[in-house]
Amino acid sequence: MNAIVVENLSKQYTLPKRSKGGGMGTKKTQNTQGNVQAVDSIGFKVKKGEIFGFLGPNGAGKTTTIRMMTGVLKPTAGKIKIFGLDAWKNQIAVKQVIGNVPEMANTYLSFSGWQNLMFIGELYGVSKEERIKRAENLLKRFDLYEKRDVKTKKYSKGMQQRLLLCMALMSNPKILFLDEPTSGLDVQSAKIIKQIIREYNERGVTIFLTTHDMEVANELCHRIAIINHGKIISLDTPDNIKRLIQEHQAIDIYFTNGVKRQDIEKLPTVKEVQEIKNGFRVIIENIHDSICELVEFIKESNATIKNLNTHEPKLEEAFLKIIERGSKNE
Amino acid sequence: MSEEMIPLEKTRTSTFTTQMKRSFIIAKKDLKIYYNKPPVLIQGIFFPIILFIAMTVGRNVQPLYLISGLMAMTIFLTSTSIGPIVFPWESMRRTFERLITCPISIKTILLGSVWSSFIYGILFSLIPLILGMIFLSMELTISLAIVILGIIMAGFAFACFGLILSVPSTDTPGNTMIFTILIKFPLIFISPLFMAISSSPLAFISPLTYFIDIVNVGLGDISVFGSFGILLDAGILLAFGFGFLYLSFALHGKTLEKRFRG
Ligand SMILES: Nc1ncnc2c1ncn2[C@@H]1O[C@H](COP(=O)(O)OP(=O)(O)OP(=O)(O)O)[C@@H](O)[C@H]1O
Ligand SMILES: [Mg+2]
Repeated sequence: MNAIVVENLSKQYTLPKRSKGGGMGTKKTQNTQGNVQAVDSIGFKVKKGEIFGFLGPNGAGKTTTIRMMTGVLKPTAGKIKIFGLDAWKNQIAVKQVIGNVPEMANTYLSFSGWQNLMFIGELYGVSKEERIKRAENLLKRFDLYEKRDVKTKKYSKGMQQRLLLCMALMSNPKILFLDEPTSGLDVQSAKIIKQIIREYNERGVTIFLTTHDMEVANELCHRIAIINHGKIISLDTPDNIKRLIQEHQAIDIYFTNGVKRQDIEKLPTVKEVQEIKNGFRVIIENIHDSICELVEFIKESNATIKNLNTHEPKLEEAFLKIIERGSKNE
Repeated sequence: MSEEMIPLEKTRTSTFTTQMKRSFIIAKKDLKIYYNKPPVLIQGIFFPIILFIAMTVGRNVQPLYLISGLMAMTIFLTSTSIGPIVFPWESMRRTFERLITCPISIKTILLGSVWSSFIYGILFSLIPLILGMIFLSMELTISLAIVILGIIMAGFAFACFGLILSVPSTDTPGNTMIFTILIKFPLIFISPLFMAISSSPLAFISPLTYFIDIVNVGLGDISVFGSFGILLDAGILLAFGFGFLYLSFALHGKTLEKRFRG
């Protein structure tokens, strides 16, 4: 079952006349009229009960996509269905069943944590009795209960973010939208937030998140879409995305006596050699074949190995590689 | 793969009554958060006092016009002090996106600002009224019902007017302040404050004039529009109110996108 269906979704921002042609980092995505094509006919489906991650560099269009899904922005073209309802035309009904933590959002600083939760709960039509019950549970779960009557201007960034997540959960949403939920947070807050994302997902809440943090995506997401310049360039499980760059494995090797770069480059299984501090990074395709070959080579050339590390492809690297490849193909 | 559907009628959340109820919840929030913010205090309390002193000291003003003028200035300035800063303030503080992704429309948020401005304006305009009743009761014959009718009509009209003032600036309350002063002060100066309503055509552009006329009648004077003058005044204020409300719905719908940058 699909919780979210997105088809041919595009968003073009019309820039005010003054700033046309200028602006930071917008040049690439500006079309001839000087508008910004922030999202460029993307399509994907999020299954019910899934944690779906949106990854991409700055200005890729992640926030714009979330804003269209949460009824903040009107799509220029295409459609978004949330549980069968149009995210723009039926936005109030859609908003009623979703929870949202916007990017770099704040709580009301002159309200206490408790007042923030009561306000939000009331706006979703949650009864007073139920509001109190939910707020108590959430505050305890998020380790904020002690500070519930303190104005949130006294909260740390991590506490603010935890409270924002409590606010998003006050209405028992079916889908949770999280725009960079752990970015810039202390380790403790990030950990609580990740745990809770998993916990709510296990209870059946569908989660759509964006993040820059590969580890977060790797740990949490069932599937990841990689977006760059407003286009989805890859959509797969974290494992498959890693496998995509399996050919980009590397061995870092350090010798005590002078081995020449050209000699290593000559080996058949070696794709590329980069010089690193006191050694070489050898880009290979297959760990086993290359190590055997290197050992052979070392025996023959009477060299001595000081140290050798294999380099597992990190999701981060996969991500960069895919983006690189995507922009070359453009 | 099928989609789970949410039946629209089951959510019962976009109906007029739910949205109205939610606009009151927003008004409560606006009042609690914005009543003591510097731009609100400066425009809502400081300016009426300063202007009152500047416009009356050394002039021989009739008690009746003193009260109606002060009430007009107070209700105009206070009920237009909260509305204009809510949107830019919430954009600046980054609470706006969270608010607008609650199950409400932008109209509901705007209506919330109207109610909060309305209540704030009414509370403050009662101060000169009460002062007048205490100190000038000998010289005035006060019909409270008429005065209160005027306060309610004007409070609504001015609260709606305030919403339009927050259209141009997206996330800088300071700019909104400057813009609102540029609009509000000329309106005050063309209004017949602390004097009889003359037939100067310029005065009739200002919605304040119609409020002053009602209050004048409520304090024992006669309307410049003749015997049913106050009904005309009330009608015009109401028309101003709905006109401004409609305009603000349209304009804010257009500028909304600009409030969400980066
Ligand atoms: N309100 C706006 N008006 C004009 N252009 C905008 C607006 N919001 C975003 N943009 C532009 O649209 C593009 C996509 O922005 P978006 O915020 O969606 O990216 P993002 O992937 O969320 O980036 P980040 O990782 O920095 O949060 C960028 O080029 C940005 O400059
Ligand atoms: Mg973003």
